[in-house]
Amino acid sequence: MRSFLLKRLPSGLLVLLLASFVVFLILRLIPGDPATTLAGPDAGPQAVAAIRAQLGLDEPLLTQYLHWLGALLTGDLGRSYAIGGQVAELIGDGIGATVQLTAAALLLVVLLALPLGVLGATAERRPVAAAVRAFTTAVLAVPPFVTGVLLVLLFAVTLGLLPAGGHESLLDAPDLALQYLLLPAVCLALPSAAVLARYLKDGIERALAEDYVRTATAAGVSRRRIVWRHALPNALPSAVTVLGLQIGHLVAGAVLVERIFAWPGLGQLVEQGVLRRDYPVVQALLLLTVAGYVAVQLLTDLVYAWLDPRIRWE
Amino acid sequence: MTALTAPAPARPARAAVRNRYLAGLLTARGLTGLALVGTVALAGLLAPLLTGHDPNAQGPLALAGPSAAHPLGTDDLGRDLLSRVLHGITTDLALTFGAVPAGALLGCSLALLAATHRWADTAVQRLFDLVLAFPGLILALAVTAVLGPGRWPVFIVIALAEIPLFGRQLRSGILVQREREYALAARVGGASRARVLLRHVLPNAVDPLIVQSAVALSVGVFIEGAMSFLGLGVRPPEPTLGSILSQSVGYLATHPTFAAAPLAATTALVLGFTLIAEALNRGIRR
Repeated sequence: MRSFLLKRLPSGLLVLLLASFVVFLILRLIPGDPATTLAGPDAGPQAVAAIRAQLGLDEPLLTQYLHWLGALLTGDLGRSYAIGGQVAELIGDGIGATVQLTAAALLLVVLLALPLGVLGATAERRPVAAAVRAFTTAVLAVPPFVTGVLLVLLFAVTLGLLPAGGHESLLDAPDLALQYLLLPAVCLALPSAAVLARYLKDGIERALAEDYVRTATAAGVSRRRIVWRHALPNALPSAVTVLGLQIGHLVAGAVLVERIFAWPGLGQLVEQGVLRRDYPVVQALLLLTVAGYVAVQLLTDLVYAWLDPRIRWE
Repeated sequence: MTALTAPAPARPARAAVRNRYLAGLLTARGLTGLALVGTVALAGLLAPLLTGHDPNAQGPLALAGPSAAHPLGTDDLGRDLLSRVLHGITTDLALTFGAVPAGALLGCSLALLAATHRWADTAVQRLFDLVLAFPGLILALAVTAVLGPGRWPVFIVIALAEIPLFGRQLRSGILVQREREYALAARVGGASRARVLLRHVLPNAVDPLIVQSAVALSVGVFIEGAMSFLGLGVRPPEPTLGSILSQSVGYLATHPTFAAAPLAATTALVLGFTLIAEALNRGIRR
């Protein structure tokens, strides 16, 4: 396992380095610069120049990049230009809630996709299979903001079962926190669950057509055991790859879902950072996303290798 | 959006192809899709006839319920909701029907370029990977960070997101068709590489693209809405389905009717496009 990691880590780090450069460069190519925005409309050129010098914006691009990278390696994400405060603190304030939401959604994705996939592949009666298909199609087609509004209208406004939006600390009031978490997590999880369920269904159907399934059936193994012990494990590795890719969508989707349910995560910071040209904030957020993406890919490879004994660690 | 189709096998005559598209559309699934999209699109196009209100004119009655003057009520600024939703439909459709062909054309051109040389293929593939590596929303953030919010950034994000999807579909189609006997026969018969590619291979590889177009249109409506929700979309006061819906979220508890019309129009559009895509997909597979 160590050699596996040793082989994969460098390429992951290289992607990260490359991404840091691209992220840095893209933001510098933007017309308009934050010093002018910060100085305000009435400031003279001298005031703007002073702010530029103070922020280090008058240095050559490469020098700026190396400074930023050096600070990054020591854990210093810099100060926000427009919002105010340390970028690390701003991100620290929101990341807990976003991670909580994404993790809950990820759990729901697996919990929903497994039974849906198995049911879709093995349903003996046509209506059941058709219902599973219709459900996954609809959930995939309808954007999460539509699902979100529908969920609020149904469960919060009409039935009054769950709060329409907001957030409660998981440590202070766990039961209340779960109530607040449920709707946004379901809304975020549904599209990814549908994708995963479809891949699982296809994988299980393919596995059920294999010779070893016929052999097992001939040997008198029960249908249930064949599906859960033989077909499903063979469908899992490729499903894990899909799940890994879906995590990227979950994180991006979280930003959107947070807006609908007034969830105090990173979504607000992303929007403010982009609209107010806050380089350090946007840089850090984009890089964080790429880092998360690389980490998830690495993790996916590890799980894949663990699930599929044919893949060697070496 | 995952690929819905596998590269199709060799095609017979062209007349038969047209019939297979039609046969696909003339099923319950296809007709439902056409009816949904058609109704919404027609309502949008007939907006000037259906309502006399200016979608951006503010009135004294904020958040009013349905009445004779305002059939769907008014929004939080007293603007006529029916007029806003109808004009929002037009904005959404103009954006997607403009951006999707642009993205499709670029993606297909790149796929054709990739078919000319091994190096070109590698370069184009990496380019597609690069765009795909950005989840849609991150792409939206990056583009808006550069251009600021507005109509064109939405257009560009939709087009950019579609480039690799169309490009990859066509590339895999070309790879399959190019190795078939008829293509080899044309080459042996003395046709140039370009002629074989454009006259023989390309027409046989477009089936999945037709399906992809319908999927792409629903993705376009999706992207417009998502960007509006994040405040990165078409600038107010111009109405879009996404912006009206995102406005209504603040009033769900007190004025649930505010959300009803944009919700219905958006759902009808995306579901309609998806049903059409599925119907076409079934049609070309038979």
